Amino acid sequence: MAGNTGGPWGGGGNSGGNNNGNGGGNNGGGNRPDKPQIPEIEDIVKKGQEQLRVLMGGKGGGNRTNGSGNGAGGPGLSGRAIAGIAIVGVLVAWTAASFYRVDTSEQSVELLFGKYVQTGEEGLNFAPWPVVKAEIESVTRENTVDIGVGRGNRSDEGLMLTGDENIVDIDFQVVWNISDLRSYLFNLAEPQATISAVSESAMREIIARSNLAPILNRDRGAIAQELQELIQATMDSYESGVQIVRVNFDKADPPREVIDSFREVQAAEQTRDTLEKQADAYANERVAAARGTAAEVLERAEGYRAQTVNQAEGEASRFLAVYGEYVKAEEVTRKRLYLETMERVLGGVDKVILDEAAGGGQGVVPYLPLNELNKSNKGSN
Amino acid sequence: MNRSAFLLPVVVVAALVVISAVFTVDERERALVLQFGEVVTVKEDPGLAFKIPLIQEVVKYDKRILALETQSLEVTPADDRRLVVDAFARWRIQDVVKFRRAVGASGIDGATSRLQRIINAEMRAVLGSVDSGTVLSADRVALMNQIRDKARIQALSLGVEIVDVRIKRADLPEQNLSATFARMRAEREREAADEIARGKEAAQRVRALADRTVVETVSIAQKEADIIRGEADANRNAIFAEAFGKDPEFFAFYRSLNAYEASLQGSNTTLVLSPDSEFFDYLKTDRLGE
Repeated sequence: MAGNTGGPWGGGGNSGGNNNGNGGGNNGGGNRPDKPQIPEIEDIVKKGQEQLRVLMGGKGGGNRTNGSGNGAGGPGLSGRAIAGIAIVGVLVAWTAASFYRVDTSEQSVELLFGKYVQTGEEGLNFAPWPVVKAEIESVTRENTVDIGVGRGNRSDEGLMLTGDENIVDIDFQVVWNISDLRSYLFNLAEPQATISAVSESAMREIIARSNLAPILNRDRGAIAQELQELIQATMDSYESGVQIVRVNFDKADPPREVIDSFREVQAAEQTRDTLEKQADAYANERVAAARGTAAEVLERAEGYRAQTVNQAEGEASRFLAVYGEYVKAEEVTRKRLYLETMERVLGGVDKVILDEAAGGGQGVVPYLPLNELNKSNKGSN
Repeated sequence: MNRSAFLLPVVVVAALVVISAVFTVDERERALVLQFGEVVTVKEDPGLAFKIPLIQEVVKYDKRILALETQSLEVTPADDRRLVVDAFARWRIQDVVKFRRAVGASGIDGATSRLQRIINAEMRAVLGSVDSGTVLSADRVALMNQIRDKARIQALSLGVEIVDVRIKRADLPEQNLSATFARMRAEREREAADEIARGKEAAQRVRALADRTVVETVSIAQKEADIIRGEADANRNAIFAEAFGKDPEFFAFYRSLNAYEASLQGSNTTLVLSPDSEFFDYLKTDRLGE
C-alpha cells in the first residue's frame, strides 16, 4: 500500500519541481505516510493559493480549476503556468491516492492514523490520503504451504513417526485463503510460517496416533479431513482470520530406505495369490476329472445291468421256448436235443473210441500215453 | 517579500516541532513514550499520539501473535530413550511496561531467546517425567498443553502471554533412524515370508481337498456301480430261477448240453469214449434191447 500511495505522489512532486513537492516526494517514498505530511499539505495549499493569486493577477482571467490551461497559453508567464500545472497534478495525484477499488475477490481495511476505522465496501472507496490509509488483500487467492515436498536439505521434514514406531514419508499441501482481513492483518505476525508450523505439528500428531498400515492403505481421506479440522481449529484459536480451504494429501509412502521391502511384500502377496490360483486350477481339474470318472463308472455299471438282465431274459426266454416244445413231446425232444448237441460236439473234437469189453479186464485206459497224444495234437497244429 | 522571508523560517520551525511531537500508533502496535529511558506513557490504542520533542522518545512493539521456533532439543524421557523434539510457540506481548522492563532495549529478539530458554526448560521437565511412548503417541496433546501452561506462568514475568506451545516433531535421534529402518525392513520381510507361507499352505490345503474329493467321488461312484451290478446279478438270478424253476430236471439236461457244446470246442480236446455210451447206442446194432 505504501508504494501505491507513494507512486502518484512521487510523480506529482517531480513534475511540480518546487520545494514542497520535493519534500512530499521524499515522504511519499517512505514506508508509511507519517504525521509530518499533514502540515505539508497545508503548506502546499497555502503556497498554491498564493501562486494562484499571482496568476490571476497577471492574467486577469481563468479560475481555480482551468487556470492551468489559461496559464499554459501565456508565454510570458511560463514559470507561474508550470506552478499551476504542478498544483493540478498534485490534486490529481492526491485524488488517485485517495480513491481505491475493492474487487469482489478482495477485502480492504481503512486505518485512520494507524487505527482501524472500517472495512471497505466492494467497489470504489474513498480514503483521504494520507490521513486514512487503506490496505487491500485478495481473499479468494489460494495460498499454499507444502510440507515434506522435495526432501532436499532438510531431508527429514516429511519423515514422520507413526504410533507403532514406524516411519512414514508424507507429502502434503495446505491450501488457505484469508477469511477475515482484519483478523488476518492485526492478529498474527507471520501467517505463512505459522500455518506451516501448525500443519506439520498437526500432521505429526495425527500420524503419531495411527499405525503404519492404515496410513498407507485407506485412511488418507480421513486423515486429510482430520488434519484440515485440526489446523483450522488451531488457526482459529489464534484468531488468525485464515481459512484452510483444503489439504492435498500427495504422498504417504514408506521411506525410500525401506521401500524395497514393502515392494517385496507386494510381490509376496502376488506370489501367494499365484500359488492359490494354481492350486485352485489343480483342484478344479482334478475334481472335474474325478466327476468324469465317477460318471463313467456309473454308466458302465448301468451298461452291465442292462447287459446282464437282457442276457438273462434272453437266455430265459430261449429256455422257455425250448421248454415249451419239450413239454409237448418230452421223450422225442429230449433225445433229439441230445443227439443234435452231441453231433455238433463230437463233430469238431478228436475222438478215441475204446471198446472196454473188447480190451477185457482193465482195458487200455491206464496205458494211454496222454501226454503223447497232446504232443501229437500240438504238432499237427 | 520582507514579510514572507520572515514568515517562512517560522513556519518551517513550527512544522518541525509539530512533526516531532506527533506520532501514530498502528493497529498492529503498542507504543511506549520514554523520557530519558523511563516509561512515562503507555499508548495502548492505535491512532495519533503526542510526545515532547527532543526529551521524549517512542518505542513501538508489535502486539500481534509472534512466532518462536525452538532449536531441536534432545530430551530424555523417563524410560531413558532419547528423543529429538522440535517445538514452536506463539506468543504476544501482554504488558508492554513489564516487557520493556524485563527485556530492556533488546526488544523482541531478547524476549525470543529468553522465551526459548523457558520453553526448553519446561519441555525437558514435562517430557522427562513421562515415558517416550507417551510422547510419541496419542497423549501428545495433553503434554503440549502442560508445557504451555507451565511456560505461560513463567512468561508472565516478561509481560508476555504464551498463546500456544506445540510439539512439531518428536522423533528418535538420527542414530536410531537406521535401526528403525532395519526393523521396518525385518518386519516387511517377515510379512513377505508369511504371505508366501500362507499361500503355500492354502495351496496345499486346496490340493489335498481336491485329492480327497477325487477319491471320494470315484469311490462313491464305484460303490453305486457295485450296487447296480449286484442288483443286475440278482435280477438275472431271479429271471433264471423263475424260468428254469419250471422243470429243474430239464433245465439240468438242457444246460448241460449247452455247456458241452461251449466247452468242448476246437481241436485241443481229445475225447476217449466208450462205445457203450448212449450216443453210440446204434453204432454196433440197429436195434436196442436185443
